[in-house]
Amino acid sequence: MSLIKINNLNKSFGSNLVLKDINLTVEEKQVVCLIGSSGSGKSTLLRCINLLETPNGGEIIVDGQNIMTANFDINKFRSHVGMIFQSFNLFSHMNSIQNCMIGQTEVLKRSKSEAKAIALKYLEKVGMLDFANQSVKSLSGGQKQRVAIARALCMEPRILLLDEPTSALDPEMVGEVLEVIKQLAKEGLTMLIVTHEMSFAKDVADLIIFMDQGVVCEQGSAKEMFSNPKHPRTKEFLARILR
Amino acid sequence: MFLTGSKIPADLLGGSWYIYQRYAPLFWAGARTTLLISLSATVIGLIIGLIVASIRNVKFTPKDSFFSKFIKKFMHLIATIYIEVFRGTPMMVQAVFLYHGLRQYVMWSPIQAGIFIVSINTGAYMAEIIRAGIQSIDDGQYEAARSIGMTNTQAMIRIILPQAIRNAFPAIGNEFVVNIKDTSVLNVISVTELFFQSNSVAGIVFRYRDTFLVTAVIYLFLTFTTTQILRAIERKLDSPRGFGGASQSMPGNFPFLKRKEQKV
Ligand SMILES: Nc1ncnc2c1ncn2[C@@H]1O[C@H](COP(=O)(O)OP(=O)(O)OP(=O)(O)O)[C@@H](O)[C@H]1O
Ligand SMILES: [Mg+2]
Repeated sequence: MSLIKINNLNKSFGSNLVLKDINLTVEEKQVVCLIGSSGSGKSTLLRCINLLETPNGGEIIVDGQNIMTANFDINKFRSHVGMIFQSFNLFSHMNSIQNCMIGQTEVLKRSKSEAKAIALKYLEKVGMLDFANQSVKSLSGGQKQRVAIARALCMEPRILLLDEPTSALDPEMVGEVLEVIKQLAKEGLTMLIVTHEMSFAKDVADLIIFMDQGVVCEQGSAKEMFSNPKHPRTKEFLARILR
Repeated sequence: MFLTGSKIPADLLGGSWYIYQRYAPLFWAGARTTLLISLSATVIGLIIGLIVASIRNVKFTPKDSFFSKFIKKFMHLIATIYIEVFRGTPMMVQAVFLYHGLRQYVMWSPIQAGIFIVSINTGAYMAEIIRAGIQSIDDGQYEAARSIGMTNTQAMIRIILPQAIRNAFPAIGNEFVVNIKDTSVLNVISVTELFFQSNSVAGIVFRYRDTFLVTAVIYLFLTFTTTQILRAIERKLDSPRGFGGASQSMPGNFPFLKRKEQKV
């Protein structure tokens, strides 16, 4: 059984139809990269998967359960689905370790000491142990994003959604974040990543999805997509971005 | 009356100093009541403001049933009316109306009534201050909180409000200072605060000018001290906390990170 199955998903903002009949399957442990030009609906699709946006139609089936049914426990579901934002969105009134603990104690109801041990474990994993007690305001972009990843990992998610995790970073900090994500991919975490880093996508993705104007235009392995794109829009996009 | 008045030096400073020395306990008892009312009303007003602002911040979601939509709309309406009425009428009028209007139901002392009135008046202003504070918080904070599974209430209490209060702290403190001055209107319901006491003293000595110089200086002393204390608290809130590492060892997983980062 696939971990995520999306059937005929539609989403509009007012009269603007942003996602049109999206069909998509993600297997457990798969790393899926979403690519496409600005405004094609990549973020919206990602945000629909953890219901930060409410879809207008279709189905999203995660682990055999339709998450769009009326009495679905959204908060419990979200605690199993991590989200990484382009602009980090760390809780700015807290330090690194507090950022990593708050979800554990508030949502998962773990004890403080357990939460702390887990937080330290994941801060170490992303190379931010030395900054555990530092206010997040004083961190660099790359450090912030690594703490954000640690915060998500502390919830021990089954799926991690990443929306352009490196787009807001200075070029010299992109590497450190991508390295962390690659490590997670190696460990078999299921991830959906919106990215403009094509070489990274090539490296890490089991499946690449090209979106254009709200539809999934083409999908396939990195090899197929980059060496032999079929759809003219894909060719055009890749030609423009790879140059 | 004449005899008392005649012993007082005729000049402003001399007269004021004489009146202050003679009636210091009365002035300070008034100042104490002023501080008691303004401090407790600011705190209670802040709590009211937090609740009202949170009610006004509740969002409609497509999942809401007709009933919960109705409740939310109704609460919004009540909150809005409350804010408009208490910001749109003078506190002096509120004081007279509520003190006498409610006295047939609650047996309250003027001071209790005073705290009540200033609290709900402050609450209306605090609601707007907190709302502005909430609006100053990036939406991403809320989304991040929801994305790790927090409920709307958890996100408000743990993530949004602490930051909103911090951002609004100067405005919240300002309300306290304003209250120190504005509690003077409570003299209309005979609350024995600083203005009321001054009036009594002035009535005894029959020297309004000199008495109210003393009053002004005491008010200034209260507001100035309060402002300085608030500034100090603000500075403390701004100073970075928690420096230094939890461990000295570098993580082994990502050797490329080694010593690339410098602590700021
Ligand atoms: N909250 C919103 N309200 C109204 N329109 C929105 C909203 N969010 C997105 N849109 C619109 O939906 C379309 C798709 O946006 P989306 O952010 O999903 O694109 P994207 O592929 O992520 O683009 P980018 O690469 O620039 O991040 C755009 O036309 C955008 O203007
Ligand atoms: Mg986007």
